[in-house]
Amino acid sequence: MKRRSFLQLLLSALGITTLASLLYPLVRYLVPPGTAEKARTLVIAKRDIPLGYAKEIVFNDVPAVVVNRPGKGLIALSRVCTHLGCLVHYDKENRQLLCPCHAGTFDLDGHVISGPPPKPLPVLPLRVDGENIVIG
Amino acid sequence: MWDRVRNWLDVRIGINDLVEEEVRAYRVPKNINIFYTLGVVTIAGYLIQVITGILLLIYYVPHPDHAFQSVQGIMNKVPFGWLFRQMHVMGSNLLIGVVFAHMLTVFLMGNYKRPRELTWIVGALLLFVSVAFGFSGYLLPWTQLSYWATTVATAIPTAVPYMGDLVANVLRGGESVTGATLSRFFAFHISILPPIFLMLLGLHLFLTKRIGISGTPFGLSAEEKRPWTEYHKKNHPDGYPYYPRFFQKDLFMVMVYLAVMFFLITFAPNLFFPGDATMPADPYRTPASIRPEWYLLAPYQMLKIIPNKFLGVIIQVALFVLFLFWPFFDTEKEKNIMKRPFLRGMFLAAFALWVILMFWGRS
Ligand code: FES
Repeated sequence: MKRRSFLQLLLSALGITTLASLLYPLVRYLVPPGTAEKARTLVIAKRDIPLGYAKEIVFNDVPAVVVNRPGKGLIALSRVCTHLGCLVHYDKENRQLLCPCHAGTFDLDGHVISGPPPKPLPVLPLRVDGENIVIG
Repeated sequence: MWDRVRNWLDVRIGINDLVEEEVRAYRVPKNINIFYTLGVVTIAGYLIQVITGILLLIYYVPHPDHAFQSVQGIMNKVPFGWLFRQMHVMGSNLLIGVVFAHMLTVFLMGNYKRPRELTWIVGALLLFVSVAFGFSGYLLPWTQLSYWATTVATAIPTAVPYMGDLVANVLRGGESVTGATLSRFFAFHISILPPIFLMLLGLHLFLTKRIGISGTPFGLSAEEKRPWTEYHKKNHPDGYPYYPRFFQKDLFMVMVYLAVMFFLITFAPNLFFPGDATMPADPYRTPASIRPEWYLLAPYQMLKIIPNKFLGVIIQVALFVLFLFWPFFDTEKEKNIMKRPFLRGMFLAAFALWVILMFWGRS
């Protein structure tokens, strides 16, 4: 190999090494670090939610709603609309969850009834412990 | 005194020659029209954004607990703070309007055609940067409207499989819009976009200067007829000198821009501040109506009506690519749109669609 091409090779190798060593940290820097371990459970009193009513909560930074469904019992659903992230609210009259942004509607199991949302609302783990509702 | 300064400069940097060459001997075509001033108006508009933006920085605090309060302080407590904020907000909207108008007129006059393809592409990128400025600035006051509009807009990439969630997370600095998003948007608005903008603007001006102003809005000229084998600068030896003739036109249009801006600030101060723009952001309550600024309404409405999110995003990306590389899609030699019924029809249809989507998105 000629001296000149050897130098060229060396130069490109150095250049690529430097570039890669800078690009990798840059990408890692821009991707947000994972959030720390969250509180595992949230406890609310059962009497706070009479039959047919709902209560809005925040569970591990996620806005959620606990609904006391007539005939079907309690359910905890994320309020973050699966379309573009607006927050749904409970419509007591129609027993539905409504998204104000693009009029997505969900039933009380979290399934999409109408509108653009592509997926059902995520269900959060919930259990009843005596007089309390434990979420998480 | 002035002569002595001038002389001092002339000995060192040859200022007399420079002025002679660049200003007096610089000629613009005779059939130039008022729309040719829009580029200069855009630059003047940007200058106002820079100055008022720097002034706002003195009081603005980019933190979710203080951003809203600090903007309220600028509006209500700081003497004339309202004026500079209004100029910045009004200016940003007007500016995007002018950039649109600039591109529209260049399009209608067919001036994106060979040899000015690169000028068009850089110009389209500048439009994109302008919208990015508007979009990132929108979040900074941390109002209900800005918070939720940003939530919706940053969720759009999630429609793309595999990469989408990552892109959205990088944009927001997390799962949802938080203080991390505010920091990112702030950095983007004041320190990442400006150098990108300056680079593109420099390139745009260089190209305009190097290629020469197109003097042929209508009809085919010698420029278009000659074979394209070598670089040839377009000069206008029989044209008007830029200074003072066209310079005055430029100045006149800049004054029109300023007059419109101050008129709106005085007589329609709430034009760009709907109700939810005066409420502090509440991450646990989505307001009844959220919408982006007018220039994003059409793409926003389009996403809303296309049932499949992914398809919607793909269509928008395709439209953007078409717009960006339009000079390469339109290979027809004829520049005059009046002689091209098909293009004219397409243009009118696209324009009408844009307007309809915009008003639809508003309601
Ligand atoms: S964000 Fe809920 S329907 Fe669009």
